[in-house]
Amino acid sequence: MDAGLLSQYVMNGLMLGMMYALVAVGFTLFFGVLDVINFSHGDVLMVGAFTGLATYIGLSELGVAWPVLQVGAVVLAATVCMALLGALIARYLVLPLKSAPALNTLLITLMLGTVLRESIRLFYPEGANPKPFPALLPTDAYRIGNFNLRVDNLLMLLAGLLVIVGVHLVINRTKLGLAIRAVAQDEETAKTMGINFTLIVLVTFAIGSALAAFAGIMNGLYYNEINFGTGLLLGVIGFSSAIIGGLGNIYGAILGGFIFATLQTLGAVALPFASAYKDVFAFGVVILIMAWRPTGLIGEKVSERV
Amino acid sequence: MEQPSPARATLLPGILGVAAATVYLILILSVESQTGIALLLAGGAVVILAAAKLGALESMRRSFLVSERRMDLVVVAALLLLTAFFYEDHFILLMVATVMTYMVAALGLTVQFGYAGVLNFAGAAFFGIGCYTAAVLTKNTALPHLLVLLAGGLMAALIGALLLLPVLRTRGHYSAVITIAFTLLFKTFLEVNDVLGGPQGLRVDGMRLFGWEFNSNIELGEDLELSFFVNYVLGALVLLAFAFAFVRRLERSWAGLNMDAVRLDETAAACFGYNVARWKITAFMIGNFLAGTAGALYAMMLGFIAPTNFTFGDSLILVSIVLLGGIGNPWGLAVATTIVIVLPEKLQIIQEYRFLLYATLVILILLFRPLGLLPRPLRSYFPGWQSR
Amino acid sequence: MRRRALTYAVTLAALAAFGVLPQAGEAKEKVKVGFIGPLSGGTSSNGLGGRNSADLAVQLRNADANAKYEYELVVLDDECKPDKGVQAATKIASDKDVIAAATHYCSAVAIATVDVYNRFGLPVIVWGAVLPDITYGNDYKEVHRVNGTMINQNETAAKFMTGLGYKNWAVIHDTTDYGKGHNKYFSQYVTENGGKILGTFGVTSDQQDFTAELTKIKSLEPEVIYFGGLTPIGVRVRAQMEKLGVDALFEGTSGIVSDTFIEGTGDLAEGIVAFREGAPTETLPGGQFFMEQYEKQGYAEPSEAYGPFAFTAMNLILDTIEAVGPDRKEVRNALNATQGHDSIVGEVSFDDHGQNSVAVITKYVIQDGKWTVWEDSEYAAGTRKLKGM
Repeated sequence: MDAGLLSQYVMNGLMLGMMYALVAVGFTLFFGVLDVINFSHGDVLMVGAFTGLATYIGLSELGVAWPVLQVGAVVLAATVCMALLGALIARYLVLPLKSAPALNTLLITLMLGTVLRESIRLFYPEGANPKPFPALLPTDAYRIGNFNLRVDNLLMLLAGLLVIVGVHLVINRTKLGLAIRAVAQDEETAKTMGINFTLIVLVTFAIGSALAAFAGIMNGLYYNEINFGTGLLLGVIGFSSAIIGGLGNIYGAILGGFIFATLQTLGAVALPFASAYKDVFAFGVVILIMAWRPTGLIGEKVSERV
Repeated sequence: MEQPSPARATLLPGILGVAAATVYLILILSVESQTGIALLLAGGAVVILAAAKLGALESMRRSFLVSERRMDLVVVAALLLLTAFFYEDHFILLMVATVMTYMVAALGLTVQFGYAGVLNFAGAAFFGIGCYTAAVLTKNTALPHLLVLLAGGLMAALIGALLLLPVLRTRGHYSAVITIAFTLLFKTFLEVNDVLGGPQGLRVDGMRLFGWEFNSNIELGEDLELSFFVNYVLGALVLLAFAFAFVRRLERSWAGLNMDAVRLDETAAACFGYNVARWKITAFMIGNFLAGTAGALYAMMLGFIAPTNFTFGDSLILVSIVLLGGIGNPWGLAVATTIVIVLPEKLQIIQEYRFLLYATLVILILLFRPLGLLPRPLRSYFPGWQSR
Repeated sequence: MRRRALTYAVTLAALAAFGVLPQAGEAKEKVKVGFIGPLSGGTSSNGLGGRNSADLAVQLRNADANAKYEYELVVLDDECKPDKGVQAATKIASDKDVIAAATHYCSAVAIATVDVYNRFGLPVIVWGAVLPDITYGNDYKEVHRVNGTMINQNETAAKFMTGLGYKNWAVIHDTTDYGKGHNKYFSQYVTENGGKILGTFGVTSDQQDFTAELTKIKSLEPEVIYFGGLTPIGVRVRAQMEKLGVDALFEGTSGIVSDTFIEGTGDLAEGIVAFREGAPTETLPGGQFFMEQYEKQGYAEPSEAYGPFAFTAMNLILDTIEAVGPDRKEVRNALNATQGHDSIVGEVSFDDHGQNSVAVITKYVIQDGKWTVWEDSEYAAGTRKLKGM
């Protein structure tokens, strides 16, 4: 295979991996802080994308045409709204079920995801149809042999990288990050040390959901299209990625995201005539990995009180 | 310890309750106009609240507990009456048969989840395995259709066995993601290859039992022609009766006790010497077998199956049914299945909104009444023996 | 105890009264006819257009004082999915009051439901699905079709494109029977006319990501990409072609001839060709009449490409019921005998498989954001050039 084609595949893999990594980091944050799996995360991503679209439409109505402003406003609106949504979910659905079996939280978030999905399908104007997402980034392309390097893809990769580095810095270098890590390690001790548990949980959910919104906008810009069903698949993929890397470990989540994207790309390269098999292949490998290492590649340290 | 009450007196509230429920069902199924249905639903809710206040629900529950065998017969009789009432109406009978097959699948899920605590979000996938097995076998082999039903169940159990290793080695949410991944995998796999019909789906031959074609109307004499769906309703009823009886016996047996122990506290059970793996495996296989058998019958009844019948959303519906009805309570399952399947068909406005509605209902139930509509009663070994 | 029983009885009796709602006496007998199409999902614009057209036929007939019966249209959504279609078909066909129905735009659905209509004996006329097997793949007397099949469409397409000078193609088709049918016929006719198929790729009807296929296609360097599928994935393929820098002409079938396609592709739509059986609505024999009446009724959605066919199908059903009465068997036999019946799309005659023959195939090209008939376009005149020319 020639270098240009290979580079094309690598670029596709990187883009997908970046999106999955962002979703996986969210899952891992939620698990670390509250020991819960929030299955509505993928659908929050989708709602974020739709919020962005609605913002764009609103701005166009108002006559704003400057692309930089548009991109900024869309991203801002989506992340802020989803941060709020995440906090609400934590406050009213996840925290009340803290003492119930973990299963209930899983189920409730799963159902919430369905509610979000169906609400968009039913209540957003023509929500059931795939909706074109505007191309807000410059669409110039550079041909290097067989490889089509697009400026918008490059920009998105850079932005995703910056966001991930930013999350790393927040978690590891700020007081807020310290509080989050403390709560993730031991809730009771953290409370004893004066950390406001509820506030930290809400903030963590907000951060995770904002990340999801960002991934949703990226998804929209990459495919130039969003539809109400993307949340489910992305959520499962994000969750699988977080698990591959080991729940509770941010770097594991990022690694897991890129591993999953690599699996998918390998599947696509091997069978370009039936690329839908790539999902079968990727999920199959995930199941195998979990059979081999139930707590992920970078293991989760589990201690359970009996 | 109370003396068990005389059997006959306690049967009466139960019989009256079942009779009222049957009449109500007949009304709801026959009425076409939307306002009529809305009024019936409101009326039904009022009657149920009144009955709860007056203690009628309590005496009905007692009669089910005390003389369960006889109540089973009463319910079967009521179902036969229902079928006889709608002997000509294809679509209503199809709905009734669908409710019954879904109940069998939901019973399978109850065994997995309600008794042994094994999370299974791939219920629709195993149901689908049963469907596709039936499709392939009826078309390509001359296997008698009774055996095809069994084959459907066996196939589902076998393929479920592939998932056993990952499911056993993981706990809680991890095993959830395995079953979810499997559902997505299953649907994508069906869609991309042509061997099993691809996205276009497969036609399934109707059921044939000892020469009796299930797909032809039954003619009794000159004017009386029963819809051919009556065959399927009766077939589903037989299957449901077997599955129901089996699940009840399982619960009351030592196997059920072991499964409950494993579900309630895995670590403690392991400490006490229970073979946790063995009980989880048993529950998982039994549950998948039931789901597969139900799927085989469903496929033959419908005559056509496609991958989009077996999405993750459909698995969620099965899980919703199990949760709504009350985890581990087969009677609650009956109520929940009827509501989940019949309501959107009759109340057309909610047809669009049905996923949204179920999801919201489950959220509310999880927040406020986590045990479901009809919580599972405490185990009692002697009928009528009320624990303090 | 007795009080409780009485409460039950009275409540139930009151409720039972609602089951027997009094029906106002009507002068004309009510007859139900059915319509099934994709009212939601990516192809909904065609389904809604068809529904409105069928409804138009019923409205016009009910306004006609000479009609013997009063008609009620029962509308069901098949969501362009085979299993939902079978459910909807079972529902309509098992309802004894529905005498006949106009069914289906999506071929994948129509081919799945023919058994159902045969099983319950409901005569139907297909108004939008083009897969030949729907009428020719079985011997069911109940199934008819007023629009053409994809055979003629693809034959014309192959001749036209090779005539323009194109020599090699890559084919992307969806894996339903619809896409597979298009692939089969187009490949056959293109090779007959001297063209070459460099590669064939099957995709699922809801596939999101086409980078794998398009990257491979890029390495094959075809002049044209033939797309055998429906609007939703057509939009995606075109968008991703641009992203990956695939420089080929996009050629489609009747599946993408809809306004939704142009909305979805935006600027990328310019210069895309497609083919459809039947003349454009304005030039049909009854086209003007249809368009005027459609405007008058004030429907929210346009009638789209197959609206006239839905109208014709429904009208034919109504005419037949008027002639032989509301009986399924009679209507079925009368439909089978239809020859030279006048309608807005011309004369309708069903052959021994219930298929009407539609001779005209219209070639379209998208010019300035609109589907323009090839002969009227600047591309035909030479002022604009198609890609690769």
